[in-house]
Amino acid sequence: MAAHESAHHEGHDAWGTSIWPFVISFGVLALTLSFTFHFVYHSTFTAVIALGLGIPLILGGIAGWVSEAMGEGEGFSFTSMAWFILAEAMIFVSCFVGYWFSRLEAPFWPPEGSVALPKVLPLVMTVALVVSSLTIHRAEHFLHEGNRDGFVKWLLLTILLGLAFLGMSAYEWNHLIHENFTVKTNIFGTFFYSITGLHGSHVIVGLAIFIAGLLPAMKGNLSVGFWRTAGLYWHFVDIIWFFVVSQVYFW
Amino acid sequence: MSVIKEWVFTTDHKRVGILYLIGSVAAFVVAGIMALLMRAELSAIGPTLTANPTTYNVWLYAHGAIMILGFQIPALTGFAANYCIPLMIGAKDVAFPRLNAFSVWLFYMGVILALLTFVIPDPPDVLWTGYPPYSTITTGNTALYTFTVLLIGFASIIAGVNFLTTIAYMRAQGMTWNKLNFFVWSIIGSFVMQLIYVPVLGTAVLLISFDKYLGTNFFDPTIGGDVLTYQNLFWFYSHPAVYVIFLPFIGILMEILATFAKNPVFNYKVAVYGGCWGIVIISGEVWIHHLYVSGMPDWLRIGQMVTTLLISVPVGLITISMVGTLYKGSITFETPMLYGLGTLVLFLIGGLTGIPLAVTSLTVNLSETYYVVGHFHYVMAVAGTMAIFAGVYYWFPKMTGKMYSELWGKIGFWFTFVGANVIFWTMMDVGVRTGLPRRYYDFAAFPQVANEQYIMSVGAIIIAIGFTITLLNWIIGAARGPKASDNPWGSMSLEWTTVSPPPHGNWPKPPVVAEDWNPYAYTKR
Repeated sequence: MAAHESAHHEGHDAWGTSIWPFVISFGVLALTLSFTFHFVYHSTFTAVIALGLGIPLILGGIAGWVSEAMGEGEGFSFTSMAWFILAEAMIFVSCFVGYWFSRLEAPFWPPEGSVALPKVLPLVMTVALVVSSLTIHRAEHFLHEGNRDGFVKWLLLTILLGLAFLGMSAYEWNHLIHENFTVKTNIFGTFFYSITGLHGSHVIVGLAIFIAGLLPAMKGNLSVGFWRTAGLYWHFVDIIWFFVVSQVYFW
Repeated sequence: MSVIKEWVFTTDHKRVGILYLIGSVAAFVVAGIMALLMRAELSAIGPTLTANPTTYNVWLYAHGAIMILGFQIPALTGFAANYCIPLMIGAKDVAFPRLNAFSVWLFYMGVILALLTFVIPDPPDVLWTGYPPYSTITTGNTALYTFTVLLIGFASIIAGVNFLTTIAYMRAQGMTWNKLNFFVWSIIGSFVMQLIYVPVLGTAVLLISFDKYLGTNFFDPTIGGDVLTYQNLFWFYSHPAVYVIFLPFIGILMEILATFAKNPVFNYKVAVYGGCWGIVIISGEVWIHHLYVSGMPDWLRIGQMVTTLLISVPVGLITISMVGTLYKGSITFETPMLYGLGTLVLFLIGGLTGIPLAVTSLTVNLSETYYVVGHFHYVMAVAGTMAIFAGVYYWFPKMTGKMYSELWGKIGFWFTFVGANVIFWTMMDVGVRTGLPRRYYDFAAFPQVANEQYIMSVGAIIIAIGFTITLLNWIIGAARGPKASDNPWGSMSLEWTTVSPPPHGNWPKPPVVAEDWNPYAYTKR
């Protein structure tokens, strides 16, 4: 691999290079084209081809990037994640503001066509996510002690809890869609699926970060900075869920 | 082969910066050609190039979207920040070099998406604003607009994360916050704004594609949605975007004015903490002035009129600093300085003509006329572009190790400066006198402005000649200009202490900043 030659060698004269950012960018381009082919030009065949190109490029790119650069930028990553979370939070702010405006302007709420949302399931989901925040904290604790097995065990538990959360979310969506409550039903459906979907996509990204770091971790490549940063992102996803659950389910 | 690899896969901040420059200048050329097409169409009443209004709309979309997203923001926060920030703070690179490379390539993908406009069926025709309900019912490809914004937006978010971390942690030993170049401060402000506001734009444009392709109802009033939600979200980013462009361009100007007047920056701390941060703080509370005529409660309209007028205060502080820096300086007029002073003039005209637009009672009559177009082209388009050109000329010897042609640089400047004033002064004049509405592809209802329209089209040709000369001057200068010294302008700033062009790692040993050093330590006269 071309990129391995020059990585990790700081201070010598060759210009630093890495192929992975380039690879992932093309993957991202392919994904956008896939959406465009399918939804705009109704050409599902080309859409599938673009998707089939994009996903391996992105996954392969991330795997290459992580194995090449794990541990670099160590002292910086935590602060950077804080900045990134500021940007992420603004996405949720814009969605919630749109939701509040639509809700407060509406003549009555919930609008026609809405169904009663489940009350118990979101509470169980809340518990799962809060516990997962505690388990990743526990995992980090083991990492600081240098206990790799303990770390991997608690990390796996965190990942399982995250997957359980996603599973429950999928079950709930499926249930509601069968009751004919979809994004098209009314403005509540639109915001319900968008906000929970947006949050769910962040859970997926959080899990993806964990899994991307899991393989190097099992091989013994442990970077404290990486895991502190990943943990911070996970706590953020957890905190956002409180807003989702209070504003969408129990208001 | 290895040369190509070292450029395409590069993670070095200087090469990433130059990639940003190449990409944004390419975008600029394309968007400039769109402007020429529109000016040709408007040079006479009736169809001249096309009889199809949608074609004109596509040009208008491509011109606006590519100029702002593909040229101005990437040239300033991409090229200028990438090239100069690590050199100015004495770092060997940015905090995350790979993330930096990812940022530039995402930007290129965004530009590729924007350029697809010219080859696909049903190109986007939603202007650069993408207002619903038109954007959700048009046959044009709104998804392409959405993804262009998302890719370039995400590129700037990761650049923002990267640079704020770099400036916080990688300054040279002894480089305290108050010794940073004004340009560094302007980039900090610019990226803080990008991090806060870009996600809101991303959300807004994503939601129009959801509405159009996935069947959601965000902006459909018949089922509980609200069109104004989009306008609010969109301008909540897109007004601060003006300051995202404005701050770095004023940063470049300040560097140039100090260097060529051989004077320290006047009122440095006031310009930084009052001017730069004042703009950052007020920037988020003024967006309603884009919606004065869209239907707003009075308390909101008048409140934001006050904040809009208030933002003249930090801008004024910066202007005082710039003028004060020139005062009693020993000024020389090399090309960068010429562009710097020209920008100052254009920016003052553009800034002062903005005041009537901020006042709710006056703006009702001026809204959606050519006056608005003239005003924001003065501030953003030509002042911004000329500041970028000033920056490229200023750091040209550092980037290439060679010298451009002073004569052609100056000739290019005068064409640009004269052409810009011919177009945009006429535009404001027409807007005030006749209320000629913007965005129309034909003006048969306004035969009295035929002469002015013709004059503006001539101005467009003049400015195009100026730009062509400038671009050729860079290309020829980079290819076979005479060798430049390491510090041809005699600047005190840190980026001029290394060799030209700087090697990977910038300095053989990390620079250490002395107690009494500052980037503008010119001897007082």
